[in-house]
Amino acid sequence: MTDMTVVGQSAPRLEGHEKITGRTVYVDDMQRSGMLHAAVLRSPYAHARLVSVDVTAARALPGVHGVLTGADFPHRYGAFVQDEVALAQGKVRYVGEPVAVVAADTLALARQALGLIAIDYQELPAVMTPVEALAPDAPLVHDDFAAYGRRVAVPLPANVCAATTIAEGDVEAAFAGCDVVIEGTYETQAQVHCYLEPCGALAEADAAGKVTVWSSCQSVFRVQATVAEVLGMPMSRVRAIATRVGGAFGGKSDVTVQPLAALLAVRTRRPVKLVLSRDDDFMMMRTRHPATIWMKTGAMADGRLVARAARVTLDGGAYAEDSSAVLGFALLIARGPYRIDHIRMEGQVAYTNRLRAAGFRGYGNPQVTFAGECQVDEIAARLGRDPIDLRLQNAVRAGDRWVGGQAIEACGFAECLEKLRDALPPRMPGRGIGVACVTHISGILSTSAIVRVLEDGTVTLNTGAVDLGEGADTVLAQICAETLKIPLDRINYTVPDTDGSPYNWSTGGSRVTYMVGRAVAGAAGQARDRLFQHAAEMLECATGDLELRVGGRVGIVGVPGAEVPFRDISGRAHWVAGGPIIGTTSVMFEGGGFDPKRSAVTGNGIGKLGTFVFGAQAAEVEVDDVTGQIAVRRIWAAHDVGRAINPTAVEGQIAGGIVQGLGYALYEDLRFDGSNPANPTLMDYKVPGALDVPEITPIIVEHPEPSGPFGAKGIGEPPLVPVAPAIANAVADARGVRMRALPMTPERVLAALDGGSIKPSSRA
Amino acid sequence: MTPVAYHRPADLAAVLALLAADEEARPLAGGQTLVPMLNLELLAPTAIVSLIDVAELRGIRRLDDGTVRIGAMETHARIAASDAFRDGQALIPDTARQIASPAIRNFGTIGGACAHGDPASDWPAALVGAGATIEIAGRDGIRNVAAEDFFLQFLTTALEPGELVTAIIVPPLPGRGRYYRFARVDSDYPILSIACVADIAGGLCRFVRLAAGACGPTPVRVATAEALLAGRPRDAARVRQAGTMLAEAAEPIDDVRGSADYRRRILPGLIARVLDEVAGP
Amino acid sequence: MITTTLTVNDRVHAVTVEATATVLDVLRDHLGLTGAKRGCNYGVCGTCSVLIDGRLARACLSLAANCAGRAVTTIEAIGQGEALDPLQRRLVETGAVQCGFCSPAMVLAIKALLAVNPHPTAAEIGAAISGNICRCSGYGAIVEAVMRATGGAAP
Repeated sequence: MTDMTVVGQSAPRLEGHEKITGRTVYVDDMQRSGMLHAAVLRSPYAHARLVSVDVTAARALPGVHGVLTGADFPHRYGAFVQDEVALAQGKVRYVGEPVAVVAADTLALARQALGLIAIDYQELPAVMTPVEALAPDAPLVHDDFAAYGRRVAVPLPANVCAATTIAEGDVEAAFAGCDVVIEGTYETQAQVHCYLEPCGALAEADAAGKVTVWSSCQSVFRVQATVAEVLGMPMSRVRAIATRVGGAFGGKSDVTVQPLAALLAVRTRRPVKLVLSRDDDFMMMRTRHPATIWMKTGAMADGRLVARAARVTLDGGAYAEDSSAVLGFALLIARGPYRIDHIRMEGQVAYTNRLRAAGFRGYGNPQVTFAGECQVDEIAARLGRDPIDLRLQNAVRAGDRWVGGQAIEACGFAECLEKLRDALPPRMPGRGIGVACVTHISGILSTSAIVRVLEDGTVTLNTGAVDLGEGADTVLAQICAETLKIPLDRINYTVPDTDGSPYNWSTGGSRVTYMVGRAVAGAAGQARDRLFQHAAEMLECATGDLELRVGGRVGIVGVPGAEVPFRDISGRAHWVAGGPIIGTTSVMFEGGGFDPKRSAVTGNGIGKLGTFVFGAQAAEVEVDDVTGQIAVRRIWAAHDVGRAINPTAVEGQIAGGIVQGLGYALYEDLRFDGSNPANPTLMDYKVPGALDVPEITPIIVEHPEPSGPFGAKGIGEPPLVPVAPAIANAVADARGVRMRALPMTPERVLAALDGGSIKPSSRA
Repeated sequence: MTPVAYHRPADLAAVLALLAADEEARPLAGGQTLVPMLNLELLAPTAIVSLIDVAELRGIRRLDDGTVRIGAMETHARIAASDAFRDGQALIPDTARQIASPAIRNFGTIGGACAHGDPASDWPAALVGAGATIEIAGRDGIRNVAAEDFFLQFLTTALEPGELVTAIIVPPLPGRGRYYRFARVDSDYPILSIACVADIAGGLCRFVRLAAGACGPTPVRVATAEALLAGRPRDAARVRQAGTMLAEAAEPIDDVRGSADYRRRILPGLIARVLDEVAGP
Repeated sequence: MITTTLTVNDRVHAVTVEATATVLDVLRDHLGLTGAKRGCNYGVCGTCSVLIDGRLARACLSLAANCAGRAVTTIEAIGQGEALDPLQRRLVETGAVQCGFCSPAMVLAIKALLAVNPHPTAAEIGAAISGNICRCSGYGAIVEAVMRATGGAAP
């Protein structure tokens, strides 16, 4: 692979010019002729029966063209539990839940009409935390849970939407033999995605009733499927198109407002744009799962980690969405990247009367890794071992098996730790350094790609992968360009559109480079084979004698002048012989799963996940004696990406993930005041700004993944995951106190430094 | 949706006439607080009276007696960049340069911030700390109110209907001034802030004024705490005691930035830190 | 409704709007200039940044009526056509652009800085963009791009 010209280059992103000049079209930048504007009415109650909903006055307001309520959306949906409705029916389950939606000539009119909707609510007692939800005789969030369709139909206690256990070995016996056992309970909070572009969709229906939905989303195919399900239409009558996406991070993985816009468009026969205000987005959408994690880890005196047990309770909010999978993944990954033979991981997801929890960069991993990596550090401290040495001693290696039995094909974890150690400076007075690691997966489900060689020899690459800003379009185009040995500017990367793009599950699970990249490499390889077949006939040689030459030519090996350009080959294919050159490839991640001889698993909602990715980070901190505030000075981050298709894009994922992880570690926390979100604004919910970030040193480690395109695998999620435990471990290093709750606010740190003399204002 | 009128008077008299004629009219200074409230539909004035053209509300002038008069329409950015402030008055530009972020500082005004009277914002504590006076114009003429008497409650000031803040008057102050702002992230409102003017030399504390912000409905200043320090050698125990007196006088609330207990707990330590900074090496 | 004239990117526009309409409303809804974004509409996110009389401003916090007689500069006036402004080119090359939602505003925030400080330090760049949230990049690439564009050493 030494002769690569495009892969491994930090090509500027394809859409950089349009983005930096402000010409990018996000959904709110779209206008259609005759377009209406829509606004959503939110529930003021966390739990209440809808006794009556009267929209007469709203409908009568001049300029209002459509008003919808729950009665207009009879179809339930949900990936794991069919508990969701597009608008509340029968009762509301959280403050902010959409209750009605209005389309009008202007947004101001639509908002005015919302005020004319008369709803008689009968308030019900609410459950705001898993503790409340799981108490005996707690009010039920979903009265009809037993009647819902479920993917994993195990019996569950009241207000529990998922429960899973994964066990291997004999954990109790193993703990009994351990020389050191660390046990603790960890609390993590509701982090809000805070993508800068609020959720939105624009829908329009054609004369035949087919609906087209443009939206800010992570998967046009998931939008298509869910809108069809919600509207009770065949998928063939729903077309989903991605606009440019102003950040998503998991928060736009499922549908947001697309079904509302779609049905309004069908009913009004007008294009309808529905873009949430920031307030609406905070109140209606999603957070990361808050978690309470009890964990116990045991080791031998020689440093070997031998046993880990955990009990994880996730707060799923009012609707299950992806909670089953988040839980299953959290439990699968909770062992950490270490050879621990005996594990028992149990977990459940509680329904509560809060906005739903959902996938968010890391997908259950940041929660369990916070607990796990803090415990590894505590063991190192107890044994008097260097934290990196102890991790290296226990590190998984290529050929090892993960929980469940999946083989780890390629593993740069040890190298990540070694490179991290090499990068670290001596400890400065007054500062502490902490280390934490991450394993994640890169894969999940299926995808496909189409590569077409145009008549002039340029290439159109078509996938269903939505670029959320991470640079997927560019990376996929680089893989295509490298496979065909053509410059990047000869690739036309098309916008995902369910009418024309081949299927892709989603942009999530750190999967696009690895999974869609495989499909692109396969499709481009097919196109290359077809180019070779034509070229062999044109040059009168065997295909085996041919080679690609940089710049879009096929030539005879060893004969410099004997070559034909793509333009001539494709012209021949289009006009003379064979027909257009099109490569198509479909792939599914088929490794992994659970070997029943090895693992005892109940209630699991996840299947074959992906290949494994690894990373190790260190944080350097200072702690203010007076306020308890943690100042993170530097972070070093070594991540094994298999191969960096675009090093600048990889570094962008590392730095961006770390800063989002910094927010998770120190600042971000959607809190509740009774049943109301206490800080659902950017004034009160703070994300890191430019003056709040440390110096970040990314270190790219490349252990090529055999199944990956040019050896590449994912990097989207992992960099966020170890930040909080690295900072917590650094605080322990600096000050000898153990932080077990996120975010590590100054108040909590000071309480820890004081030995708990002040009661921190804990999460409600 | 009643239409809102927009007025852009050219002088103060015209502003006062418009405000007197309509109690629901709102003066618009820099707009950095008023406009988001309009956008969020938290306010529904009948009219907006823009102060943008009123020359009388502009200017940062140092008077012969060392007093600095800041026109109400002066922006945080211009105050931060002004060289009118001397000695302990440095508290004022030190506050201005730390408010929010550049765009807000470019347009937000000191008069607008005072009239809003948000105890979580920066100016109230700074102006109380500086012993500043708020100049107010109304139909009956001009009156001056000490900053300490101006901020009455959460979002409540001594302004009567129809009145307008026209200037902030900062007296001459000895020594050095410092505004210490402790926040979750740089661009947030403070968890707690300390405004300090002190003249400390050779271990002797000759003059001190202290006010704490964001720890109650109004800025907290305790004259007896200052008296404990002024005119005596600087002493850690007395500084601690003075800080504790402010903490006891504070009436902070529990909010997402921190608990009331926490704010009280850290106040003495931050006061000691600020005095150290002002004292210099 | 009131009629006001607004000078945007050196062109004078007469618009009829509510007194409470902001510059952001006018740019996006009346003039078709969508480079300024509506990320929060209450002045925190910074994605609506424009220059008013050369100074960095929140378009969402500026009433249109109040801007009569003032010059508004938007991203649409910077680096259009084939050739990007060198700052814009550096931002793209350095990986400072991800989702792009903050990017036009970042350009304007940095332009406002460079107008008064052509060779800023990393700390000065950070301060200049401290009111502009970026949720993707982690900011380091933005600061590095500006350092490179202005001939400073990368931090």
